Amino acid sequence: MRPGQIILQDVGIRYRIYREKVSTLKEAVANRFRHLRTAEMFWALRHVSLEIAAGDAIALVGHNGSGKSTLLKTIAGVLQPSEGAVAAQGRISPMIELGAGFDGELSGRDNVYLNGALLGFSRKQMESKFQRIVDFSELGDFIDLPVKNYSSGMYARLGFAIAQDVEPDILIVDEVLAVGDERFQEKCKRRIQDFRTAGVTFVFVSHSLQTALELCPRAAVLHHGRLAFDGPTEAAWDRYRELERGPAPGPVFQA
Amino acid sequence: MIGAAPNARTSDAPAAAAPPLLDLPRRPSPLAELWRFRQLIALLVVRELKVRYKRSLLGMLWTMLNPLLLMVVYTVVFTTILPAAMANFSIFLLAGLLPWLYFSTALMQGLMSVLVNQELVRKIRVPQAVFPLSVVGSNLVNFTLSLVPLFLVMLALRQPFTTALLFLPAAAVILTLFCAGVTLLFATATVFFRDVRHLTEVALQMLLYLSPVLYDLKQFGEHRTWWFSLFRLELKLNPLSYLIPLVRDPVYYGRFPALPTVGIALACALGALAGGFAVFTRLEPRHIHHL
Repeated sequence: MRPGQIILQDVGIRYRIYREKVSTLKEAVANRFRHLRTAEMFWALRHVSLEIAAGDAIALVGHNGSGKSTLLKTIAGVLQPSEGAVAAQGRISPMIELGAGFDGELSGRDNVYLNGALLGFSRKQMESKFQRIVDFSELGDFIDLPVKNYSSGMYARLGFAIAQDVEPDILIVDEVLAVGDERFQEKCKRRIQDFRTAGVTFVFVSHSLQTALELCPRAAVLHHGRLAFDGPTEAAWDRYRELERGPAPGPVFQA
Repeated sequence: MIGAAPNARTSDAPAAAAPPLLDLPRRPSPLAELWRFRQLIALLVVRELKVRYKRSLLGMLWTMLNPLLLMVVYTVVFTTILPAAMANFSIFLLAGLLPWLYFSTALMQGLMSVLVNQELVRKIRVPQAVFPLSVVGSNLVNFTLSLVPLFLVMLALRQPFTTALLFLPAAAVILTLFCAGVTLLFATATVFFRDVRHLTEVALQMLLYLSPVLYDLKQFGEHRTWWFSLFRLELKLNPLSYLIPLVRDPVYYGRFPALPTVGIALACALGALAGGFAVFTRLEPRHIHHL
């Protein structure tokens, strides 16, 4: 496999839905662990097969709860598939949520190093990136303030500034472009375009056709955990609209 | 990143069986993963210490004051109730309390660590063992710091400093391995059953009295009652009976711990670590469904 390549083979992610929430030992013992057997299965994703070549860009489209975020988390390795197999080669820059892993009590500076370490970078490596990250974030002297005092825009800016400097092979973005002011959003989009020209694989969740068309020629439509369409973005959007008009079957439970 | 269903129980089989992924590199072993993130553990330890001491006036001093205050309380209680305790009883107590506080504090904080960091676990792929391990790490720092007041009390009470004190670094290592193993095990258990925390809290209170922290078995003469033999048996099976002397023998008795004691303590520590790490990494992929 090449760095940046993503393969999903018949991937299913199953959540257990406990009708009776059992989280104490007493309840579990009293019921003789019946909850483990009677839990209903909810497949957030089922039979999803996708191949994304290194350097490709794909947008994920679908209604709320269609499994887009679950799919991103599966590619990022946060979730492991209940069935099927996933392989994603290379360093993944997860922008599933900007600033995930920030500690409010720590300064922006400390958080840069902490976030770097969360992505597997050493202190030395982060030192060489530090100034670039601060410059990109436009935070200036605020970098030494605790991040709990940041505005949400500043918070997201620092998060994006770190995520954009980790030399990823795969860039995963979950609607994070909706943060910050318009100028900063443009800056983020330009940076993503740079990544695209540099051959970074790009997986993107979007509710906006405009942004998806700008960034990805290809899109996949998820509908209640199934892959309903995989092809050109505009055709995918038509399919998505068509599915949304149809009757909503609601989440499917299985005993 | 490579992931495959560990035991894919397919109730309704997929329409067409997917061909096996032949040329995929294997997922790195949990140990290799953890090694790659070793600097993260160090940063998390620093974070924990920074956050803990940030707004408190005495900061790090609290770490040193806590065991001292406990020592004073227990000394007063024990020397008034049991007047004929032993010489330099405060040092005897302190030498037992320090490893005990290391173990119990690391365990109580560490078992919540995966839950406390659930925002991270949900969003970033990171070996989750870094969270309990960093709690143990920050408590190791505290343990080391608390040796300072211990030495001060030893000076004040004219307790002799012997070469046996050179064993303390080794004692710290063995204690740390043990704490890490037990904490990993309890951290994963707490994810599945939240009341492990409350059970552990109660169990630790009992364990304090069932372990040679406030007393030493040598203090008791020969009793031939059945409950005393039971108590003896419990102390024989209790790993803390071998771990606490690692600190107390050099500090209070001024001698190196006996070789069998060190051997058993090390075996307990390595066993706990291997078991704790194996169970933790095995259950780790399921954590996210229970957060």
